[in-house]
Amino acid sequence: MDYGLKPLGREKLWLWLMLAPTLIGLIFGTVGSLLATLALSLFNWDLINSPQWAGAENYIQLFQNKDYIEAFVNTLKFSALYVPSVVVISLLLAVLLNRKIYGVGFFRTVYFLPTVTSAVATALVWNMIYGKETGILNFLLESLGFAPVCWLCTDNAMLSVVIVNVWGAVGEGMIIFLAGLTAIPRDYYEAASLDGANEFQQFFKVTLPLVTPSIFFQTLISAINAFQAYDYIYMLTRRGQGDSSVPVAVYSIYRNAFHFFRMGDASAQAIQLALLVAVFMGIMFWWERRYVVYE
Amino acid sequence: MKKLMFVLVVASLLLAACGGGAKPAAETGPVEITFTMWGAPEELAVWQAVVDDFHKANPNITVKVDVSDWDSYWTKLNTLTAGGTPPDVFAMDAPLYLDWQSRGALLNVQPYIDANPGFLDGFYPQTLTAYKTPDGYYGLPRDFQTIVLFYNKDMFDAAGVAYPTEDWTYDDLLAAAKKLTLDKDNDGKIDQYGFWSDTWDMELLWSEAIWAYGGDIISADHTKTLIGEGGAREAWAFIDSLYKEGVTPTPTTAGEFGLDLFQAGMAAMTTIGHWAVPGYVQSGIKFDVAPMPKGPAGRATSINSAGFVISKQSKHPDAAFAFIKFALSEAGQKRLAELGFAIPVLKSVAESDAYLKQPGDLNQRVFLDSLAFARMKPVFKGYEEWAGVVGDGLIPVFDGEAELNATLDEVIAAADEVLAKNK
Repeated sequence: MDYGLKPLGREKLWLWLMLAPTLIGLIFGTVGSLLATLALSLFNWDLINSPQWAGAENYIQLFQNKDYIEAFVNTLKFSALYVPSVVVISLLLAVLLNRKIYGVGFFRTVYFLPTVTSAVATALVWNMIYGKETGILNFLLESLGFAPVCWLCTDNAMLSVVIVNVWGAVGEGMIIFLAGLTAIPRDYYEAASLDGANEFQQFFKVTLPLVTPSIFFQTLISAINAFQAYDYIYMLTRRGQGDSSVPVAVYSIYRNAFHFFRMGDASAQAIQLALLVAVFMGIMFWWERRYVVYE
Repeated sequence: MKKLMFVLVVASLLLAACGGGAKPAAETGPVEITFTMWGAPEELAVWQAVVDDFHKANPNITVKVDVSDWDSYWTKLNTLTAGGTPPDVFAMDAPLYLDWQSRGALLNVQPYIDANPGFLDGFYPQTLTAYKTPDGYYGLPRDFQTIVLFYNKDMFDAAGVAYPTEDWTYDDLLAAAKKLTLDKDNDGKIDQYGFWSDTWDMELLWSEAIWAYGGDIISADHTKTLIGEGGAREAWAFIDSLYKEGVTPTPTTAGEFGLDLFQAGMAAMTTIGHWAVPGYVQSGIKFDVAPMPKGPAGRATSINSAGFVISKQSKHPDAAFAFIKFALSEAGQKRLAELGFAIPVLKSVAESDAYLKQPGDLNQRVFLDSLAFARMKPVFKGYEEWAGVVGDGLIPVFDGEAELNATLDEVIAAADEVLAKNK
């Protein structure tokens, strides 16, 4: 699969030169920190004294550390709820907004707005929505005759946090899907309607197969975001002493590294999380070969 | 001419080095040291004033001050330390002191104290305990906090309830709180709570209550969490009753307001330290303070002190100690007293008008008199992780989602694991 023009002669030099800033950043920033994390995960380091060799100890401890297991399970639960919701809802939004309706630009902007707004600021707004005594959501529930719900208490916090994260992510997903939808040639739909296919049949028989590259891409991105979810969770569920009612893996990494003087444990947790993402990506690429339709 | 200058400079340096003689580490040329602390922006101005005074007295030493909020402060400090460039002098909170001291991050300042006989004589002895280790001091307290009962006079007057007295017990507090919890507009929602305090940290209420009910927090060798033994369970039952009786908002509800409910005029009483006073005075509420209530085992309050430490990696330990010494002198402590956030560690300053005559016309002596029955906020390794497990672990109980005793058992087991991990 070769795309585009191949660089010739001196162009190659310029190509590398132009790519250099990004590549250097990637090598020293991303790859460098990845290798450093990998190395640190094999040591015990308290940030103050020199690191002590620990071998696989930090990895073995991962399976005995109840707090980390809880955080890890929370991350899995969060991802299981978050990824399908983001993909399905943003696809639906894109389909709904991919037509000639009045004010379509306005709607697209509104749905995209959370993506470009600071998570910290919007989390404060969500705090006002979720509040038990003062929240807007409970005000609505009570005026409809329902009992108020403690949205951010331990029992409901996971669901509440997933809702906020999905809300924050569907705008970006919608843009990805809109791009995928506009790439589908109109004649397919004309042909389908000539054959008597209604809108639902058109969606399942034409749109869905042809938008699979976008679904693939969006699932991958959503999964990576799910494993790294932190900002909304921190803002909405943090307790007084820095713990959370929904501690996720990144939360545990941060606290171990910067609050509990356990850089080695934190690094091992980070590596494990990275491996999990890698495995998931492997599964996704297998799925891509089987199901994704490229024109 | 240039050559001559060079020779002169070299010669003077050599002379200075020889002149040092007995003190090989003596500082000669101008020195710059860094000092970081947590605090509010207004604290930076006061510290800048202390630093300027110090610079006037020691023109050779320049101090660069940096103030961050509590959370960023610790992240920054960790990062700077990990990078091998910690600040020369930094602020320390007593409960976290051993985490830093035991890892060898701090300079032993005992030699400096020995070289300044009588330096610690003017300190309140209770403030020094937290920083003392078997081989001397690795830090010194800069101010201290005792926890007292604050009450809103207007609310007490309006409800016809007598102000808290020295004879109050925790039961009296609950009884008064019930009378002061009001739904003024009868919409089924409480507009004024009788009491409010944070229960995620032991310092504001639960350590005092546990001690007053005859319990304790942690064993002397820091291996066992004692908050479930003896009178401690009764203390927890009392705290739980504050929530169950509805005289205080649940932690999650209180969090929604996002502010201090006493300061906002939504709670008639609170238990807190002197750091809250400037904000309360500014908000215009009419309030005064009383000692913590008594429990079945007597009266107790918590004392905690923030302090100064010097990094072991500091290149200018002499200058760093000179600065600490100045900040802990009467001149430095007076500046701090004017700031109004804390109580000076020097008895002479605390007993003077600089501290006693502050805005707000409070009974400032209550904070000092509380020292008579104050117990040190525990200082041990792994404090932050332990406090997270205990303090945050009990939130579901106070939110009404979990049963007290069963949760307490779980939390204590987890807390003991933390202690074992941080041995």
